[in-house]
Amino acid sequence: MKARQIRRRIKSVQSTQQITKTMEMVAAAKIKKAQARIEAARPYALKMVELLEDVSAFTTDFTHPLLEKHEPPKKSLLLLITSNRGLCGSFNSNLIKKTDLILKREKEAGLETKLGVVGRKGINYYRFAGPNPYKEFVFGEEPSYFEVKEVADFLIDEYVQWKADRVILVFNHFKSLSEQRPIEYRLLPIGEAEAEEKREARTEFLFEPKAEEVLSSLLPIYIETLVFRACLESAASEQAARRLAMKNATDNAEEMIKSLTLAFNKARQAQITQEIAEISTCAEAIKYIEERKRGG
Amino acid sequence: MHPSQRKLYCQVITPEKVVYSDEVDMVVATGIDGEFGILPLHTPLIALLKIGELRVKKGENQEYIAVHGGYLEVLEDKVTVLTEAAELASQIDVERAKKAREEAERKLSEEGVSSEDLEKARRSLEKALLRLKVSSRKPR
Repeated sequence: MKARQIRRRIKSVQSTQQITKTMEMVAAAKIKKAQARIEAARPYALKMVELLEDVSAFTTDFTHPLLEKHEPPKKSLLLLITSNRGLCGSFNSNLIKKTDLILKREKEAGLETKLGVVGRKGINYYRFAGPNPYKEFVFGEEPSYFEVKEVADFLIDEYVQWKADRVILVFNHFKSLSEQRPIEYRLLPIGEAEAEEKREARTEFLFEPKAEEVLSSLLPIYIETLVFRACLESAASEQAARRLAMKNATDNAEEMIKSLTLAFNKARQAQITQEIAEISTCAEAIKYIEERKRGG
Repeated sequence: MHPSQRKLYCQVITPEKVVYSDEVDMVVATGIDGEFGILPLHTPLIALLKIGELRVKKGENQEYIAVHGGYLEVLEDKVTVLTEAAELASQIDVERAKKAREEAERKLSEEGVSSEDLEKARRSLEKALLRLKVSSRKPR
Protein backbone atom coordinates (compact mmCIF):
# COMPACT_ATOMS: atom_id res chain seq x y z
CA MET A 1 0.00 0.00 0.00
CA LYS A 2 1.12 3.52 -0.73
CA ALA A 3 2.17 5.73 2.15
CA ARG A 4 -0.52 8.24 1.34
CA GLN A 5 -3.27 5.62 1.49
CA ILE A 6 -1.98 4.36 4.81
CA ARG A 7 -1.95 7.87 6.19
CA ARG A 8 -5.58 8.23 5.22
CA ARG A 9 -6.42 4.99 7.04
CA ILE A 10 -4.67 6.20 10.18
CA LYS A 11 -6.64 9.42 10.12
CA SER A 12 -9.94 7.60 9.82
CA VAL A 13 -9.09 5.15 12.60
CA GLN A 14 -8.07 8.08 14.76
CA SER A 15 -11.38 9.82 14.32
CA THR A 16 -13.24 6.59 15.06
CA GLN A 17 -11.18 6.23 18.19
CA GLN A 18 -12.14 9.70 19.25
CA ILE A 19 -15.80 8.78 18.98
CA THR A 20 -15.49 5.52 20.89
CA LYS A 21 -13.46 7.25 23.58
CA THR A 22 -16.14 9.89 24.02
CA MET A 23 -18.87 7.26 24.14
CA GLU A 24 -16.88 5.41 26.76
CA MET A 25 -16.69 8.49 28.94
CA VAL A 26 -20.36 9.33 28.46
CA ALA A 27 -21.33 5.79 29.42
CA ALA A 28 -19.08 5.96 32.49
CA ALA A 29 -20.90 9.07 33.66
CA LYS A 30 -24.27 7.48 32.97
CA ILE A 31 -23.45 4.35 34.95
CA LYS A 32 -22.89 6.51 38.02
CA LYS A 33 -26.29 8.06 37.58
CA ALA A 34 -27.97 4.72 36.94
CA GLN A 35 -26.32 3.22 40.00
CA ALA A 36 -27.48 6.15 42.08
CA ARG A 37 -31.02 5.48 40.88
CA ILE A 38 -30.78 1.85 42.02
CA GLU A 39 -29.55 3.07 45.40
CA ALA A 40 -32.33 5.65 45.63
CA ALA A 41 -34.95 2.99 44.97
CA ARG A 42 -33.73 0.77 47.79
CA PRO A 43 -35.39 2.45 50.81
CA TYR A 44 -38.81 2.13 49.21
CA ALA A 45 -38.29 -1.49 48.21
CA LEU A 46 -37.00 -2.48 51.65
CA LYS A 47 -39.82 -0.71 53.46
CA MET A 48 -42.33 -2.26 51.08
CA VAL A 49 -41.17 -5.78 51.98
CA GLU A 50 -41.27 -4.90 55.68
CA LEU A 51 -44.78 -3.57 55.36
CA LEU A 52 -45.85 -6.65 53.43
CA GLU A 53 -44.53 -8.88 56.18
CA ASP A 54 -46.15 -6.83 58.92
CA VAL A 55 -49.50 -6.86 57.19
CA SER A 56 -49.47 -10.51 56.20
CA ALA A 57 -48.74 -11.48 59.83
CA PHE A 58 -52.22 -10.20 60.67
CA THR A 59 -54.18 -11.92 57.95
CA THR A 60 -55.49 -15.43 58.03
CA ASP A 61 -56.97 -17.39 55.15
CA PHE A 62 -56.10 -14.54 52.85
CA THR A 63 -56.78 -15.06 49.19
CA HIS A 64 -55.91 -12.78 46.34
CA PRO A 65 -55.88 -13.30 42.56
CA LEU A 66 -52.13 -12.65 42.54
CA LEU A 67 -51.48 -15.39 45.08
CA GLU A 68 -53.71 -17.89 43.34
CA LYS A 69 -51.85 -20.64 41.52
CA HIS A 70 -53.02 -21.58 38.06
CA GLU A 71 -52.67 -25.35 38.01
CA PRO A 72 -51.66 -26.83 35.69
CA PRO A 73 -50.05 -23.87 33.92
CA LYS A 74 -50.89 -23.67 30.24
CA LYS A 75 -49.91 -20.18 29.23
CA SER A 76 -46.66 -18.46 29.95
CA LEU A 77 -45.83 -14.79 29.52
CA LEU A 78 -42.25 -13.65 29.11
CA LEU A 79 -41.16 -10.08 29.58
CA LEU A 80 -37.83 -9.31 27.99
CA ILE A 81 -36.07 -6.06 28.89
CA THR A 82 -33.65 -4.88 26.20
CA SER A 83 -32.11 -1.53 25.34
CA ASN A 84 -33.16 1.02 22.76
CA ARG A 85 -29.72 1.57 21.36
CA GLY A 86 -26.91 -0.68 20.24
CA LEU A 87 -23.14 -0.37 20.55
CA CYS A 88 -23.25 -2.06 23.90
CA GLY A 89 -21.40 -5.29 23.24
CA SER A 90 -23.28 -8.49 23.93
CA PHE A 91 -25.85 -6.81 26.17
CA ASN A 92 -28.81 -7.53 23.90
CA SER A 93 -27.51 -10.60 22.08
CA ASN A 94 -26.92 -12.55 25.31
CA LEU A 95 -30.36 -11.58 26.49
CA ILE A 96 -31.95 -12.74 23.25
CA LYS A 97 -30.02 -15.99 23.38
CA LYS A 98 -31.32 -16.59 26.89
CA THR A 99 -34.86 -15.71 25.84
CA ASP A 100 -34.73 -18.09 22.89
CA LEU A 101 -33.67 -20.87 25.25
CA ILE A 102 -36.53 -20.12 27.61
CA LEU A 103 -39.01 -19.95 24.74
CA LYS A 104 -37.82 -23.35 23.61
CA ARG A 105 -38.03 -24.76 27.13
CA GLU A 106 -41.56 -23.47 27.69
CA LYS A 107 -42.63 -24.84 24.35
CA GLU A 108 -41.21 -28.24 25.16
CA ALA A 109 -43.09 -28.18 28.46
CA GLY A 110 -46.24 -27.80 26.37
CA LEU A 111 -46.91 -24.20 27.33
CA GLU A 112 -48.34 -21.61 25.06
CA THR A 113 -45.92 -18.70 25.27
CA LYS A 114 -46.39 -14.99 24.73
CA LEU A 115 -43.60 -12.50 24.57
CA GLY A 116 -43.67 -8.97 25.93
CA VAL A 117 -40.68 -6.87 24.93
CA VAL A 118 -39.26 -3.67 26.40
CA GLY A 119 -36.75 -1.75 24.26
CA ARG A 120 -36.33 -1.17 20.53
CA LYS A 121 -33.53 -3.68 20.08
CA GLY A 122 -35.58 -6.59 21.33
CA ILE A 123 -38.69 -5.44 19.50
CA ASN A 124 -36.86 -5.18 16.18
CA TYR A 125 -35.25 -8.56 16.63
CA TYR A 126 -38.43 -10.44 17.48
CA ARG A 127 -40.47 -8.68 14.81
CA PHE A 128 -37.92 -10.01 12.36
CA ALA A 129 -37.00 -13.39 13.79
CA GLY A 130 -40.24 -14.20 15.61
CA PRO A 131 -42.22 -15.00 17.60
CA ASN A 132 -43.84 -11.64 17.03
CA PRO A 133 -44.03 -9.62 20.27
CA TYR A 134 -47.41 -9.85 21.97
CA LYS A 135 -46.90 -6.47 23.61
CA GLU A 136 -44.24 -3.81 23.11
CA PHE A 137 -42.97 -1.05 25.38
CA VAL A 138 -40.42 1.63 24.72
CA PHE A 139 -39.24 4.10 27.28
CA GLY A 140 -36.36 6.47 27.83
CA GLU A 141 -32.87 5.85 29.07
CA GLU A 142 -33.93 6.60 32.63
CA PRO A 143 -37.19 4.74 33.10
CA SER A 144 -39.53 6.53 35.49
CA TYR A 145 -41.69 4.66 37.97
CA PHE A 146 -44.81 5.62 36.09
CA GLU A 147 -43.53 4.28 32.78
CA VAL A 148 -42.61 1.00 34.43
CA LYS A 149 -45.88 0.85 36.36
CA GLU A 150 -47.70 0.60 33.06
CA VAL A 151 -45.69 -2.50 32.18
CA ALA A 152 -46.23 -4.04 35.61
CA ASP A 153 -49.97 -3.35 35.49
CA PHE A 154 -50.16 -5.01 32.10
CA LEU A 155 -48.45 -8.13 33.52
CA ILE A 156 -50.77 -8.13 36.54
CA ASP A 157 -53.85 -7.82 34.34
CA GLU A 158 -52.74 -10.71 32.17
CA TYR A 159 -52.29 -12.85 35.26
CA VAL A 160 -55.46 -12.02 37.13
CA GLN A 161 -57.55 -12.39 33.96
CA TRP A 162 -56.06 -15.83 33.48
CA LYS A 163 -54.52 -14.88 30.15
CA ALA A 164 -51.19 -15.99 31.58
CA ASP A 165 -50.51 -18.66 34.18
CA ARG A 166 -47.02 -17.54 34.91
CA VAL A 167 -44.97 -14.45 34.22
CA ILE A 168 -41.22 -14.52 33.78
CA LEU A 169 -38.89 -11.52 33.58
CA VAL A 170 -35.72 -11.78 31.52
CA PHE A 171 -33.26 -8.95 32.02
CA ASN A 172 -29.62 -8.11 32.60
CA HIS A 173 -28.85 -8.26 36.28
CA PHE A 174 -26.40 -5.58 37.42
CA LYS A 175 -24.02 -7.59 39.55
CA SER A 176 -21.17 -5.14 39.48
CA LEU A 177 -19.51 -2.67 37.15
CA SER A 178 -17.65 -5.47 35.43
CA GLU A 179 -20.32 -8.13 35.59
CA GLN A 180 -23.81 -8.10 34.23
CA ARG A 181 -25.55 -11.25 33.26
CA PRO A 182 -28.92 -12.13 31.81
CA ILE A 183 -31.18 -13.77 34.38
CA GLU A 184 -34.73 -15.01 34.46
CA TYR A 185 -36.94 -14.16 37.38
CA ARG A 186 -40.34 -15.64 38.02
CA LEU A 187 -42.56 -12.72 38.85
CA LEU A 188 -45.91 -14.46 39.08
CA PRO A 189 -47.33 -16.36 40.78
CA ILE A 190 -45.77 -14.78 43.83
CA GLY A 191 -43.44 -17.44 45.18
CA GLU A 192 -44.58 -19.59 48.04
CA ALA A 193 -41.57 -18.61 50.09
CA GLU A 194 -42.49 -14.96 49.82
CA ALA A 195 -46.19 -15.33 50.47
CA GLU A 196 -46.09 -17.94 53.19
CA GLU A 197 -43.34 -16.34 55.18
CA LYS A 198 -45.31 -15.63 58.28
CA ARG A 199 -43.02 -13.76 60.52
CA GLU A 200 -43.88 -13.12 64.12
CA ALA A 201 -45.60 -9.77 64.20
CA ARG A 202 -43.27 -7.06 65.39
CA THR A 203 -46.04 -5.53 67.36
CA GLU A 204 -49.79 -5.25 67.52
CA PHE A 205 -50.71 -2.90 64.68
CA LEU A 206 -53.88 -0.99 64.22
CA PHE A 207 -55.16 -1.25 60.65
CA GLU A 208 -57.05 1.31 58.73
CA PRO A 209 -58.89 -0.22 56.84
CA LYS A 210 -58.68 -3.97 57.67
CA ALA A 211 -55.38 -5.80 57.23
CA GLU A 212 -56.84 -7.86 54.38
CA GLU A 213 -57.73 -4.76 52.41
CA VAL A 214 -54.33 -3.21 52.97
CA LEU A 215 -52.65 -6.41 51.85
CA SER A 216 -54.67 -6.72 48.65
CA SER A 217 -53.71 -3.21 47.64
CA LEU A 218 -50.08 -3.83 48.55
CA LEU A 219 -49.55 -6.88 46.37
CA PRO A 220 -49.80 -5.13 42.98
CA ILE A 221 -47.49 -2.39 44.21
CA TYR A 222 -45.03 -5.01 45.35
CA ILE A 223 -45.02 -6.43 41.80
CA GLU A 224 -44.53 -2.92 40.42
CA THR A 225 -41.45 -2.35 42.58
CA LEU A 226 -39.97 -5.65 41.41
CA VAL A 227 -40.42 -4.72 37.76
CA PHE A 228 -39.10 -1.22 38.43
CA ARG A 229 -36.02 -2.68 40.06
CA ALA A 230 -35.43 -4.92 37.03
CA CYS A 231 -35.68 -1.94 34.70
CA LEU A 232 -33.25 0.11 36.76
CA GLU A 233 -30.78 -2.75 36.82
CA SER A 234 -31.13 -3.22 33.10
CA ALA A 235 -30.47 0.49 32.51
CA ALA A 236 -27.31 0.39 34.63
CA SER A 237 -26.17 -2.83 32.95
CA GLU A 238 -26.66 -1.28 29.52
CA GLN A 239 -24.35 1.61 30.33
CA ALA A 240 -21.78 -0.68 31.92
CA ALA A 241 -21.84 -2.94 28.86
CA ARG A 242 -21.52 0.04 26.55
CA ARG A 243 -18.61 1.44 28.48
CA LEU A 244 -16.79 -1.87 28.27
CA ALA A 245 -17.54 -2.28 24.57
CA MET A 246 -16.34 1.23 23.83
CA LYS A 247 -13.23 0.76 25.92
CA ASN A 248 -12.38 -2.35 23.91
CA ALA A 249 -13.04 -0.48 20.69
CA THR A 250 -10.77 2.35 21.79
CA ASP A 251 -8.03 -0.10 22.71
CA ASN A 252 -8.37 -1.89 19.40
CA ALA A 253 -8.17 1.39 17.54
CA GLU A 254 -5.02 2.21 19.46
CA GLU A 255 -3.44 -1.05 18.38
CA MET A 256 -4.51 -0.56 14.80
CA ILE A 257 -3.02 2.91 14.73
CA LYS A 258 0.26 1.49 16.04
CA SER A 259 0.53 -1.17 13.38
CA LEU A 260 -0.61 1.22 10.65
CA THR A 261 2.02 3.73 11.74
CA LEU A 262 4.62 1.01 11.48
CA ALA A 263 3.44 0.13 7.99
CA PHE A 264 3.36 3.80 7.08
CA ASN A 265 6.98 4.30 8.18
CA LYS A 266 8.06 1.25 6.22
CA ALA A 267 6.24 2.43 3.14
CA ARG A 268 7.70 5.90 3.46
CA GLN A 269 11.18 4.44 3.92
CA ALA A 270 10.73 2.30 0.85
CA GLN A 271 9.56 5.28 -1.13
CA ILE A 272 12.56 7.38 -0.10
CA THR A 273 14.97 4.56 -0.88
CA GLN A 274 13.40 4.16 -4.25
CA GLU A 275 13.60 7.85 -4.99
CA ILE A 276 17.28 7.97 -4.01
CA ALA A 277 17.96 4.98 -6.21
CA GLU A 278 16.19 6.68 -9.10
CA ILE A 279 18.10 9.94 -8.61
CA SER A 280 21.48 8.29 -8.35
CA THR A 281 20.76 6.13 -11.38
CA CYS A 282 19.86 9.30 -13.26
CA ALA A 283 23.04 11.02 -12.12
CA GLU A 284 25.11 8.03 -13.19
CA ALA A 285 23.41 8.00 -16.55
CA ILE A 286 24.06 11.70 -17.16
CA LYS A 287 27.71 11.31 -16.14
CA TYR A 288 28.09 8.41 -18.59
CA ILE A 289 26.52 10.41 -21.43
CA GLU A 290 28.72 13.45 -20.79
CA GLU A 291 31.85 11.29 -20.67
CA ARG A 292 30.87 9.75 -23.99
CA LYS A 293 30.39 13.25 -25.52
CA ARG A 294 33.78 14.47 -24.30
CA GLY A 295 35.51 11.29 -25.30
CA GLY A 296 33.68 11.18 -28.65
CA MET B 1 -38.81 12.46 79.08
CA HIS B 2 -42.01 14.44 79.09
CA PRO B 3 -44.33 13.42 76.26
CA SER B 4 -44.39 16.93 74.85
CA GLN B 5 -40.64 16.79 74.37
CA ARG B 6 -40.80 13.63 72.34
CA LYS B 7 -40.33 13.94 68.61
CA LEU B 8 -41.57 11.96 65.67
CA TYR B 9 -39.23 10.88 62.95
CA CYS B 10 -41.06 11.36 59.69
CA GLN B 11 -40.02 9.96 56.32
CA VAL B 12 -41.77 10.19 52.97
CA ILE B 13 -40.42 7.62 50.55
CA THR B 14 -41.20 7.13 46.85
CA PRO B 15 -39.82 4.46 44.52
CA GLU B 16 -37.42 7.02 43.08
CA LYS B 17 -36.18 8.77 46.20
CA VAL B 18 -36.68 9.81 49.80
CA VAL B 19 -38.66 13.04 49.50
CA TYR B 20 -38.74 14.13 53.12
CA SER B 21 -36.94 13.03 56.23
CA ASP B 22 -36.86 14.99 59.44
CA GLU B 23 -37.69 15.12 63.14
CA VAL B 24 -41.09 16.67 63.64
CA ASP B 25 -43.76 17.32 66.27
CA MET B 26 -46.88 16.23 64.47
CA VAL B 27 -48.03 14.67 61.23
CA VAL B 28 -51.49 15.10 59.71
CA ALA B 29 -52.37 12.76 56.85
CA THR B 30 -55.36 12.13 54.60
CA GLY B 31 -56.61 8.61 55.22
CA ILE B 32 -59.34 6.96 53.23
CA ASP B 33 -61.86 7.93 55.92
CA GLY B 34 -60.60 11.46 56.35
CA GLU B 35 -57.77 13.32 57.97
CA PHE B 36 -56.01 12.05 61.05
CA GLY B 37 -53.18 13.37 63.14
CA ILE B 38 -50.21 11.53 64.60
CA LEU B 39 -48.45 12.68 67.74
CA PRO B 40 -45.55 11.04 69.54
CA LEU B 41 -46.40 7.86 71.49
CA HIS B 42 -49.05 6.96 68.93
CA THR B 43 -50.07 3.33 68.86
CA PRO B 44 -48.56 1.27 66.00
CA LEU B 45 -50.66 1.86 62.91
CA ILE B 46 -50.78 0.91 59.27
CA ALA B 47 -53.13 3.05 57.21
CA LEU B 48 -54.04 3.46 53.56
CA LEU B 49 -53.80 7.01 52.29
CA LYS B 50 -55.90 8.81 49.74
CA ILE B 51 -54.48 11.18 47.19
CA GLY B 52 -54.16 14.10 49.54
CA GLU B 53 -52.13 16.48 51.55
CA LEU B 54 -49.67 15.60 54.26
CA ARG B 55 -48.98 18.28 56.84
CA VAL B 56 -45.89 18.11 58.95
CA LYS B 57 -45.61 20.39 61.96
CA LYS B 58 -42.23 21.24 63.27
CA GLY B 59 -42.22 23.90 65.99
CA GLU B 60 -43.87 26.92 64.44
CA ASN B 61 -43.33 25.71 60.90
CA GLN B 62 -45.59 23.63 58.78
CA GLU B 63 -44.51 21.77 55.69
CA TYR B 64 -47.09 20.71 53.10
CA ILE B 65 -46.48 17.65 51.01
CA ALA B 66 -48.64 16.39 48.15
CA VAL B 67 -48.93 12.63 48.58
CA HIS B 68 -50.39 10.52 45.80
CA GLY B 69 -51.96 7.75 47.83
CA GLY B 70 -49.98 4.98 49.46
CA TYR B 71 -49.40 3.83 53.02
CA LEU B 72 -48.57 5.31 56.35
CA GLU B 73 -46.94 3.30 59.08
CA VAL B 74 -46.43 4.41 62.64
CA LEU B 75 -44.07 2.43 64.80
CA GLU B 76 -42.13 3.59 67.85
CA ASP B 77 -42.37 7.29 67.05
CA LYS B 78 -41.39 6.71 63.45
CA VAL B 79 -43.86 7.75 60.78
CA THR B 80 -43.12 6.30 57.38
CA VAL B 81 -45.13 7.23 54.31
CA LEU B 82 -44.72 4.99 51.28
CA THR B 83 -46.19 6.47 48.15
CA GLU B 84 -45.85 6.34 44.38
CA ALA B 85 -45.19 10.05 44.16
CA ALA B 86 -44.83 12.94 46.57
CA GLU B 87 -43.79 16.55 46.24
CA LEU B 88 -43.00 19.25 48.73
CA ALA B 89 -45.09 22.38 48.21
CA SER B 90 -42.00 24.24 47.03
CA GLN B 91 -41.17 21.62 44.39
CA ILE B 92 -44.51 21.67 42.63
CA ASP B 93 -44.59 22.87 39.05
CA VAL B 94 -47.73 25.00 39.15
CA GLU B 95 -47.86 25.64 35.40
CA ARG B 96 -47.71 21.95 34.69
CA ALA B 97 -50.40 21.19 37.24
CA LYS B 98 -52.67 23.83 35.70
CA LYS B 99 -52.15 22.37 32.27
CA ALA B 100 -52.87 18.88 33.59
CA ARG B 101 -56.07 20.17 35.19
CA GLU B 102 -57.28 21.76 31.96
CA GLU B 103 -56.41 18.67 30.02
CA ALA B 104 -58.27 16.41 32.45
CA GLU B 105 -61.31 18.70 32.60
CA ARG B 106 -61.48 18.77 28.81
CA LYS B 107 -61.34 14.97 28.69
CA LEU B 108 -64.07 14.68 31.31
CA SER B 109 -66.40 17.02 29.43
CA GLU B 110 -65.90 15.28 26.11
CA GLU B 111 -68.35 12.73 24.87
CA GLY B 112 -67.67 9.18 23.85
CA VAL B 113 -64.61 8.75 26.04
CA SER B 114 -64.05 5.15 27.13
CA SER B 115 -64.61 4.43 30.79
CA GLU B 116 -60.97 3.51 31.15
CA ASP B 117 -59.84 6.93 29.87
CA LEU B 118 -62.46 8.59 32.00
CA GLU B 119 -61.04 6.94 35.06
CA LYS B 120 -57.55 8.03 34.05
CA ALA B 121 -58.69 11.60 33.53
CA ARG B 122 -60.43 11.59 36.89
CA ARG B 123 -57.26 10.45 38.59
CA SER B 124 -55.08 13.01 36.89
CA LEU B 125 -57.59 15.73 37.72
CA GLU B 126 -57.47 14.67 41.34
CA LYS B 127 -53.68 14.80 41.30
CA ALA B 128 -53.58 18.18 39.57
CA LEU B 129 -56.04 19.65 42.06
CA LEU B 130 -53.98 18.29 44.94
CA ARG B 131 -50.81 19.82 43.52
CA LEU B 132 -52.50 23.18 43.09
CA LYS B 133 -53.94 23.05 46.58
CA VAL B 134 -50.65 22.15 48.21
CA SER B 135 -48.63 24.66 46.21
CA SER B 136 -51.01 27.46 47.20
CA ARG B 137 -50.26 26.87 50.87
CA LYS B 138 -48.02 29.55 52.20
CA PRO B 139 -45.15 28.23 54.22
CA ARG B 140 -45.72 29.26 57.77
